[in-house]
Amino acid sequence: MSSIVIDTSASRKVKELLRFLLDSGKIDAAVTMRKIPENNSYDLTLITDAPDLDEAVPVIPVMTVNAGQVLSSISTSGKKIAAVLKPCELRAFVELVKREQGSFENLLTISYTCGGVFPLELVKEGQIEELLPKYDKTISKGEVPINTRDTCRACEHFIPMNADITVSVSGECESGKGCVMYLNTEKAEEFTEGFGGERSEQKFDPSLFQKTLDARLAEKGKLFASITKDGPGLDGLLDLFGKCVGCHGCNSVCPICYCLLCDFESANFDYNLPYFEEYLSRRGALRLPPDTIFFHMGRLTHMSFSCVGCGMCSDVCPVGIPVAAVFKKTGEKTAALFDYVPGRDVEESIPVMVYKEEELSDIG
Amino acid sequence: MTDSELKGAVLPALKKPGGAVRDFLRLAMEKELADAVILPMKVPSGDSFAWILMNDISLLDDAVPIAATMPVQGAKALRSLTRKGPGNLKIIAVMRPCEIRAAMELSKLGQVHPENLILATYDCPGAVQLQKYVDDPAGSEEYFAGMLQKGKPDDSAKPVCHTCENFSMFDSDIHFGYLGLSEKEVLVIPGSEKGSALLEGLGLDLTKDLQAWEKGIDQLKADKLNSRKSTFEETKAQLNGFNGLLSVFANCIGCHNCQSACPICYCRLCYFDSETAEQDPDALITAAEKRGGISLPVDRIMFHTGRMAHMSLSCVSCGQCSDACPVSIPVADVFSYVADQTQRTFEYTAGRNDGDPLPLRQFRKAELPGVHELVKDADAEVPSHE
Amino acid sequence: MKKEFTPRITSFLCKWCTYTGADLAGTARLQYPTSIIPIQVMCSSRVDPVFLIKAFLSGSDGVLIGGCHPGDCHYETGNYHARRRFAIVKSVFESLGLESQRLKLSWISASEGPKFARVANEYTEEIMELGENPTRKNIFL
Repeated sequence: MSSIVIDTSASRKVKELLRFLLDSGKIDAAVTMRKIPENNSYDLTLITDAPDLDEAVPVIPVMTVNAGQVLSSISTSGKKIAAVLKPCELRAFVELVKREQGSFENLLTISYTCGGVFPLELVKEGQIEELLPKYDKTISKGEVPINTRDTCRACEHFIPMNADITVSVSGECESGKGCVMYLNTEKAEEFTEGFGGERSEQKFDPSLFQKTLDARLAEKGKLFASITKDGPGLDGLLDLFGKCVGCHGCNSVCPICYCLLCDFESANFDYNLPYFEEYLSRRGALRLPPDTIFFHMGRLTHMSFSCVGCGMCSDVCPVGIPVAAVFKKTGEKTAALFDYVPGRDVEESIPVMVYKEEELSDIG
Repeated sequence: MTDSELKGAVLPALKKPGGAVRDFLRLAMEKELADAVILPMKVPSGDSFAWILMNDISLLDDAVPIAATMPVQGAKALRSLTRKGPGNLKIIAVMRPCEIRAAMELSKLGQVHPENLILATYDCPGAVQLQKYVDDPAGSEEYFAGMLQKGKPDDSAKPVCHTCENFSMFDSDIHFGYLGLSEKEVLVIPGSEKGSALLEGLGLDLTKDLQAWEKGIDQLKADKLNSRKSTFEETKAQLNGFNGLLSVFANCIGCHNCQSACPICYCRLCYFDSETAEQDPDALITAAEKRGGISLPVDRIMFHTGRMAHMSLSCVSCGQCSDACPVSIPVADVFSYVADQTQRTFEYTAGRNDGDPLPLRQFRKAELPGVHELVKDADAEVPSHE
Repeated sequence: MKKEFTPRITSFLCKWCTYTGADLAGTARLQYPTSIIPIQVMCSSRVDPVFLIKAFLSGSDGVLIGGCHPGDCHYETGNYHARRRFAIVKSVFESLGLESQRLKLSWISASEGPKFARVANEYTEEIMELGENPTRKNIFL
């Protein structure tokens, strides 16, 4: 497998590639981030005409929606699509494909070494442009940008898994100069045939990102310690989720939660008056609507092992609950039970669909 | 309120309105005129409130009858409790007027069964924006104390509170009034037979005439109506044309938080989340091809305008949608303005408990002349389903 | 240990093995505590993780799943899946700092009446040590 040396900024090079792919008819559409010039904001866009790529910014630390989630509704169209994804978006998509919610068949995936994304809070205020120079500088030094999402700062999977094309952005190059586009698969070689640029046989070297990895792991330790600061147990849990307003926004932006109707919104958990009366007689009081903690614990058991830590849930929470940090922390534990890493391998079944006869010997 | 015969009782309390409400509820529970009450209570982390249904009188002391902010619309709490029927418990719920109005709409939609509920309201000064409260509970409490004293919202309040003309008694069973009165007075006013029976059972003396209070309300209402008018003009200008609409909702990420926080949107699976509304992948590509590109996720404007069509007739302008929006779109300002228009079309006021069915549940042969003119053969006989 | 504390242990018992085992314990007149509240399920894999959580949050002091021994499932593989799901819930409890001892999975066959009685006694004792579930009194859940 070969690689292409990038002589400009990574974002621009990816854009050139998309343009080449569209112009040459190798793809029918591209999915990429785009700048909305009118209001200094960004969105994810499906682009079919090369001229419309002008506003595209494939590499940008903004995630308005987890692209993996969106891709699940486009990828089965039968058209050839190239998608620029952040590593966690690609991992989320892998998890969705395992759940038959998408397909890699007609998809060319382009991903990059991700420095983390800014919270939507900063995006809506149009602050991204101002923050970018410092952000680029920080990641080029292998450090962790301070004002990115908490789970981004604590993310050790910033090197894409399974991407057809990996673009190294942070680490060995300072936002542009000396970046490399690695062609990881036959598909990538095939699609990039005829695309200009200096080719080399250079292989992706993860060790160049060791400093970043160490810094992220240190941040992760801090983050995981911080979410139980008020002590573990029921009180700690209530401190975390007690102010939940039950909007289930965390669930609706979660790329893994693909169910059309979540179990916790279904008639399974509608109660008759006698239920409340019984509850009242035992405790003297109860919360309305009920099942606040139940929802979060239930979701943790239903999907945490597939959590990719993208941080969308925390970003949409109207009361600022660190949902993503809790899910990432718990998810690492539930996935580790089965040596599972969400998004690592599309052939790997999700843990609840398979079993081994000899395992979990401490249970039962 | 216009009924000059109506009298209220002065509550024997010298505390802020919230304290008077608490004492009232305690009395009602002690006299077994209510089995339980629904009130906000601070959550353990202290930076928000939750609705608590309680029959343990000792918990009343921890409750905050008039909470500074509105994390969950009270109608949603009532819905979760009575969706399947009225039950046997007699329950008093103290909520903001917009919450009771939403509950009334939900009862028309068969989602709340208020038969055994006694719905109580108070002169609502507005609610502090949720995010502001969570970020700074102590500061917000101070703001709210100021709001309570003046009876009207300040900058920390939700924008829709500034334009709310239904901030006081509105078809509730009982109402706690304090506006226009001396600081030490809180009035309790019956609004229905159910309410009158309760006050009678409590032995309260309904002798106080309501002129001072009514004057206070009317004055504030005039101010609010003015601000409503000017705000709606601004919103109208902002929404002008398709580009206006686009720019207001430009940052929408399609999370549908506005819908799930909305008390009226009770559908278990929203049409816009359903398979019916889901775009076929090929259709998506075609749509992109027609334009060169298309923003993802698709149908965000469709979602908002569709929701306006589906629920604006019942919108009570409580502002929960804006509070829940992660990208600070002024959803409530837009919906409040649109609701004013659609409700005006049918001379309908959402939350009114006067036996009038929902506008879309009925029709008259001769109505909406302005709409007819657009249609050919407007005079043709419309088949009646009555 | 609190005095006069009678634990409530919600027990999801597989129809083919553990429930029958419990019956056997009864007909053999083996003593086991009244704390066990049996709920018959067709298979241990019928127990959705949310059942455990619901029972826990509703104030059960312990939640027990009883199923056939691995390899003996009436539906061949149900209990293997049950084991994985149980491991996930337990892990969720541990990472949230909740008392995971309040959850128990035990393989008890139809012929193991004495084992059922022993597990019921031992688990009840363990829960007695642990005390009342704090969720019993909490109103904010």
